[in-house]
Amino acid sequence: MGRYAIRRLLQLIPVLLGTTFLINYMVWQLPGDPFAGRCGQRPCPDAYVNAMRSQFGLDQPVLIQYWHFLTNMLTGNLGVDFNQVPVSTTLGAAWPITIRLALMAVAFEAVIGIGAGVLSGLKRGGFTDNIVTISTLILLSLPVFVTGYLLQWMLGVQLHVVEPTVSPEAPIDELIVPALVLASLNMAFTARLTRTSIVENLRADYVRTAVAKGLTNRRVVGIHLLRNSLIPVLTFLGTEVGSLMSGAIITEGIFNINGIGGILWRAITGQDYTIVVPVTSLLVLVYLVSNLLVDLLYGVLDPRIRYE
Amino acid sequence: MSEPTVTQDLIQHTEQPTEALAGVRSNRPRSLWRDTWDILKRRPIFWISLALLVMFLLMAAFPSLFTHKDPSYAQLAKGMDPPSSEAWFGYDLQGRDVFARTVYGARASIVVGVSATLLTVLLGGVTGVLAAYYSRWLDAIISRVGEMFLGVPYVLGGIIILGTIAPAQTSPNEVMIMAVVVLVLAVLGWPILMRIARSAVIQAKHQDYVQAARALGAGPIRIIFKHLLPNSLAPILVYSTITIGSYIGAEATLSLLGIGLRPPVISWGIAIADHTRYIRTGAHAMLFPALFLSLCVLTFVMLGEAVRDALDPKLR
Repeated sequence: MGRYAIRRLLQLIPVLLGTTFLINYMVWQLPGDPFAGRCGQRPCPDAYVNAMRSQFGLDQPVLIQYWHFLTNMLTGNLGVDFNQVPVSTTLGAAWPITIRLALMAVAFEAVIGIGAGVLSGLKRGGFTDNIVTISTLILLSLPVFVTGYLLQWMLGVQLHVVEPTVSPEAPIDELIVPALVLASLNMAFTARLTRTSIVENLRADYVRTAVAKGLTNRRVVGIHLLRNSLIPVLTFLGTEVGSLMSGAIITEGIFNINGIGGILWRAITGQDYTIVVPVTSLLVLVYLVSNLLVDLLYGVLDPRIRYE
Repeated sequence: MSEPTVTQDLIQHTEQPTEALAGVRSNRPRSLWRDTWDILKRRPIFWISLALLVMFLLMAAFPSLFTHKDPSYAQLAKGMDPPSSEAWFGYDLQGRDVFARTVYGARASIVVGVSATLLTVLLGGVTGVLAAYYSRWLDAIISRVGEMFLGVPYVLGGIIILGTIAPAQTSPNEVMIMAVVVLVLAVLGWPILMRIARSAVIQAKHQDYVQAARALGAGPIRIIFKHLLPNSLAPILVYSTITIGSYIGAEATLSLLGIGLRPPVISWGIAIADHTRYIRTGAHAMLFPALFLSLCVLTFVMLGEAVRDALDPKLR
């Protein structure tokens, strides 16, 4: 286990280096002028462009730029954006909101997804099962933004149940609908995964043994079946926390939430790459670390799994 | 696909559902695909999705079959008029017929979805088979590179690549706009297909018939094309059908963000993006394209799932 963790940690390093280099390269080196349109209708004066290029190191070779980026990130220095505002200040205000949104989404996924999955898996081919199968199919084929605009239009504009947009402080009650939208796709996946897992484990020997011992139905399902069936589901939920953060770009855009996604979106439309690069790198780090943690957790949850 | 038929014929007599069907042509050799077809043709969901698929393909190929109106003809006086008997889906902001634009929008979405999937299958399939067949260092390199691309979530990756490339195109034509989106979707999506192909080939690689082929002196190309590829075909086919659907949704998402397809291309994503701000006053201009988009994604997802259930009867 210890050796496995160290090996995985070491494998993380080249992947992280590769991904951040890819991001740096794509943002700074691909065609397109980062300073185009920054000075209104006229082209930027050479003096401004040269000053900016030397401040952000664009006049240096790619690898040296990347080295500066790495050393800055490792020392916790996120730099300043094109308007000379420190990136860490902008991020500090936005993290809590996005994390709150993502946690609420995960909670919805877990409660609704697992609940629906268990109900449909226990009575395969029954009425609930068919309902769950059809509704997950529909959820899986609705793009997130369609669900978002549809709920915004129905609940916000037509029925006036909720506010169509979220206020700057983003209190929990206003985040319920956005969190449901963010969770919708993964909720369907969770329900299906739980169902498959329950169906598979229902035939397992240990379940038959538990029934044969005369245990109550509740104990067989609650203790024996659920604990074993939920292992893959938990790992799925864990892996998805990382990608929820970036999935929030769309949801935060629709409901006008001032989180990481909103910042990233404004930075990209405003072509402020000094924000895009560190924020995307951080998101990738979150994604990779959550994947690693989930892989390690797998062995703790299920002792039958042995790491080489 | 001819190797396992003998054993399958033996197994067949113990399996009830196939035995009932086998009565008529029990003397013919049965393949995996034949069994799949027999299961598929009895499932209504397969026929429903096939009918929808034919409709969308017709819409993409011959949009004038469905409407005689010009999707680019704008009457500003009719801007945002609600649905009426004259225009079933109403008019959009510029006074263009929403029904005509929705019908003409099918082409861009389906072309992008299908070609991005083909490119993904090509990239992911080749790398996956190579990684699994040659294993060792080539496998390690391909797997790590795949992880790098998987590490960039696709909305993020799409935004980064398209956000830098798209403004650089000065006067793009329709083909160029679509090609860039296709390229981005495939570049970000190939690692998943690589993993599917890789695991399918690794499973098949240690089967006796592959060892036998190798013992008979078959070269790597023959083993890969005759023995390994046919065996990884089923999971790749299922995944790519579902992928067409999700790529159509992804294209619309990127177009919504303003970095995917752009005018002069007509697409559902653009139509939705153009009218999100008018959701309070005229939701029809956005809801109808969204409905068609979701229906089209649903068609491919449903078809893929029907085929998967038929290919893999373990879970029924």
